[in-house]
Amino acid sequence: MLDLTAIRADFPILQRTIRGKPLIYLDNAATTQRPRSVLETLQTFYTTYNANIHRSPHLLGQEATELYEQAHANVARFIGAEDEREIVFLRNTTEAVNLVGVSLLRPESGPLQLRPGDEVVITVMEHHSNLVPWQALCRQAGLTLRVADLREDGTLDLEQFAALLGPRTRLVACTHVSNVLGTINPVAEIGRMAHRVGALFFVDGAQSVPHMPVSVREIGCDFLAFSGHKMLAPMGIGVLYGRRELLEQMSPFLYGGDMIADVTLEGATWNELPWKFEAGTADVAAGIALGGAEDFRSGRRLLGAIDYLEALGMEEVRAHEQALLERLLEGLKGMPRLHIYGPEEIERRGAVVSFHVEGANPYLVAQLLDDEGIAVRAGGHCAHPLARRLGIPGTVRVSPYLYNTPEEIDQFLAVLEEIVRRRLP
Amino acid sequence: MSSRYTPTLIDHFTQPRHVGMPEEADASGQGGGGPLCPEDMATVWIRVRDGRIAEIYHKTMGCPVAIASSSMTCVLAQGKTLAEALEITRERVIEALGGVPEHKVDSIVAPEALHRAVRAYLEKAQGLPTEAPSPSGA
Repeated sequence: MLDLTAIRADFPILQRTIRGKPLIYLDNAATTQRPRSVLETLQTFYTTYNANIHRSPHLLGQEATELYEQAHANVARFIGAEDEREIVFLRNTTEAVNLVGVSLLRPESGPLQLRPGDEVVITVMEHHSNLVPWQALCRQAGLTLRVADLREDGTLDLEQFAALLGPRTRLVACTHVSNVLGTINPVAEIGRMAHRVGALFFVDGAQSVPHMPVSVREIGCDFLAFSGHKMLAPMGIGVLYGRRELLEQMSPFLYGGDMIADVTLEGATWNELPWKFEAGTADVAAGIALGGAEDFRSGRRLLGAIDYLEALGMEEVRAHEQALLERLLEGLKGMPRLHIYGPEEIERRGAVVSFHVEGANPYLVAQLLDDEGIAVRAGGHCAHPLARRLGIPGTVRVSPYLYNTPEEIDQFLAVLEEIVRRRLP
Repeated sequence: MSSRYTPTLIDHFTQPRHVGMPEEADASGQGGGGPLCPEDMATVWIRVRDGRIAEIYHKTMGCPVAIASSSMTCVLAQGKTLAEALEITRERVIEALGGVPEHKVDSIVAPEALHRAVRAYLEKAQGLPTEAPSPSGA
């Protein structure tokens, strides 16, 4: 059981009021809030350790480098990666998808290069970040993009999925948890299907890694991407995990400083992993605020978002969210005019519930909730093809996190009921 | 910081004691890297005066339990005789931390590192054999 009073005291923003009403923040699938410890780490980095990494000969630069590298190692541990060299810090999940796609199109990736006629398989429930890059890259390089469909209950149709795979399939990219439906996809099984036909398997973990224990070893994926800002870390820091032997063969994504070993006027050789993929000055402070690190000279610990999550325990975070989901779904089911999307079973859902109020614009519903201090998201949720597939203009999306309370869910349900029964046309 | 762990454990995790990488030490030892949590690793350095641990430092990579338990191991070992240091086991550290979830016990790696450091010291100082039995359950 999470100690919600103590947890909420760690998040300064939760003290805010919105138009005089206590903020009820239920838009965590868009971005989460940050605990004081993470904010303090940003401050401590800039007040005590700020220097550029991997190039400064002074102690300050050495300390910054050590802290940043340790943050990579902590992220590796958090997702069960064997080697910190498999962890690339980027801006976000979107950048990670672009890295993999662009790199795999380049001849420098050798045998891994995707060539005209090759096929990439995704699903209809992908976020735009795991869809638009593949669309563009397939168009540019003459690849074929195939899209796996849903069943009525909002889960993937695995039989149809299997039928899309074949000898020309080179890459399967799939979200772990749908940011609209909440569906948890059986990624380990999909990974085995992809590997059986010799394809690489990319997992979008943006909605799973923040909410449940996720292990790349257990999934057996080749790549996993996620964003720090959806898991208590600052905006602008994200992670790509890639199997080492693949990253070693792959072409760099961006070219410039820090990603090189040596440069002549004629050309350059690349730095070792993961720096080959981290061109230019990175957001070092945000990286440390994600992974956490310790100054082994002074014993000072810079707490990262991962430290916060590990101290709570990911199993406990998941259990807490499931209890909230159960309460939420139960309450929504009793309301008139409401269509709830995604699987009915709590076990098959991440921390996302989307619904549509018949005849009502989802933006209007969200606005009326906002009037009462309740923050939710409305619209297509960066997954427009999915809304089209469901045949609706969009949904209202409620996404709780570890600091939300059962009382907040009850308050949300009471306000929504009032809106649905009395205030909507 | 809120936690499923005891306040003592979180205190030692967020403000670990005896952290350092001394350039000169009488002996050092490493622990960790076991099959269950290969990523948890600790190095312990000791300085010995008059048969007691006069100074002790650790460098630990790992989860909150790994870091807090290394900190506590050093606190327990400070000032102790070498024989007493060899009696600092995982169980003693768990007790001092006020408890550790059972599935995280394997992350307690500093007692092993400490015992190795003590044995290395004894070997150097007295020519005792190093290959003592591994401190299982330690």
